[in-house]
Amino acid sequence: MPLSDLTRRHQSALASYCRTGQYNAIPGVHAGHVTHYRRLVYNVVDDMLQSAYPLTHHLLKAKEWKALVQEFFSNHPCQSPQVWYMPGELYQYMLQVQHPLLQQYDCLQELLWLEWTEVELFMMEDRPVEYTPDGDLLTDALVLNPEHRLQRFRYPVHLKPARQITANDQGDYFLVLYRKPDTGEVSFLNLSPVLAHMLELLAEGPQPVSELIRQSCAAWQLPLTPDIEAAGSAFFSQALESGLIPGFKIKKDT
Amino acid sequence: MVGIGFRKDFAATLLQSPSFHPAFIEVAPENWIGVGGYWKKMFRQALEKYPLYTHGLSLSIGSPDELDLVFLQQVKRFLQETNARVYSEHLSYSKCDNAHLYDLLPIPFTTDAVQHVSRRIRQVQDLLERRIAIEIVSYYTPVAPELTEIAFINAILQEADCDLLLDVNNVYVNAFNHQYDAKAFIDQLPLERVSYIHMAGHEQVSEDLIIDTHGEAIIDPVYDLFAYTMQQLGHDVPVLLERDFNIPALDELQQEMDRLQAIKTVYLKKHQHAAV
Repeated sequence: MPLSDLTRRHQSALASYCRTGQYNAIPGVHAGHVTHYRRLVYNVVDDMLQSAYPLTHHLLKAKEWKALVQEFFSNHPCQSPQVWYMPGELYQYMLQVQHPLLQQYDCLQELLWLEWTEVELFMMEDRPVEYTPDGDLLTDALVLNPEHRLQRFRYPVHLKPARQITANDQGDYFLVLYRKPDTGEVSFLNLSPVLAHMLELLAEGPQPVSELIRQSCAAWQLPLTPDIEAAGSAFFSQALESGLIPGFKIKKDT
Repeated sequence: MVGIGFRKDFAATLLQSPSFHPAFIEVAPENWIGVGGYWKKMFRQALEKYPLYTHGLSLSIGSPDELDLVFLQQVKRFLQETNARVYSEHLSYSKCDNAHLYDLLPIPFTTDAVQHVSRRIRQVQDLLERRIAIEIVSYYTPVAPELTEIAFINAILQEADCDLLLDVNNVYVNAFNHQYDAKAFIDQLPLERVSYIHMAGHEQVSEDLIIDTHGEAIIDPVYDLFAYTMQQLGHDVPVLLERDFNIPALDELQQEMDRLQAIKTVYLKKHQHAAV
């Protein structure tokens, strides 16, 4: 016997009530008690979103946040069986519908990206990479931690509270977020455009610092000066210490 | 044996505590599938120390939607990789109209739902190549019922030929909310199918409603119902203490686990003596 249309309708009516808060009578349902299902479902979603987006929650007015959660959960059918992915669906939903809040708060889209990326990097599956911790910073090929995201922002959402960001803050902000191999903690580094370019090159495959500097200077039409070489080396030395660069390419015996 | 739900809230303390010694841990596969980094390390450490039992949240066995076979394959891999001893799920639905709800909704107690859910449990057991245990959930309202709760559950257990995860607190909560006798309800269950027991605390939110929160200590009447269940059961099963919110110090949880083990031991000895 297949599931009857009537049973389907009753199940759908209860699920719809939990998502939207709009109750249409269902036979046999205790009208006073059914409200707890809506409350419990809503709280799970709201708690998960607040936990993933604490800065966005702080930026928006309470009414705006509540309306956003309500709208998202009512209109968007959450697809992942894993609840921790659900906040990522909020970010995608807001982009997809071109949510008015993105117009109202200029930096909101970047703030949402930053917060979701932090969650995603912290939680995501390990991406093993081969490297050796022993090598020479200047001559040996560096291996980039694959658990990273490079990003260019228009607003400094990673540097100052979103409520304090104004149109005057507009600019080019480059950063790399990455998961530290030893602690699993997610961290970020500010980058100059040239350093961001070097990391893009390194993401394509292991290379020595000298080669990264040479290619980047050529691309940016910069003279290859001792100052630039020293700045590049200092950055990658810091990146080695912080885990953005876990180590060096393993030399295969020939 | 008495185990504990492995919560991120107290994972680090659990792994380091010399005085906290659950016999096993339980997790929801969907909270750990595809997770790396810090939590993967913690989970691996836990698996080196404790046997794993699993209790799913998102399979939505009672849903009118199609089963999510991709997700089910992920669960299967997870169970194999972690050497999980048990996979259990809820007799409820958490997805409908292609949308996950992330909570457990009550299935209408109807004959067609019995057939539908039983078919899906059999399908899951076939795909996973193992028997699963189905948990009677706490519920706060019936939905368009044609059958009694006990008739609905027993029909599914028989049709699906699966094990029963008996959550004693849920029986207590349901008996209070829907005004029936909890012991009489347990007497009517096919206790030979019980392969796993859950125990937890709850919160009474109004004169006529208890919510299954897993946020409080187990109360004495639920311990009494557990003792009654063990008396009736006649065989040993693993017991899990669930504590999801409002987490106390681990020695309080250890005391609850010790009390559950002591009750089990008393009734298992009685059964052994009776058998001799």
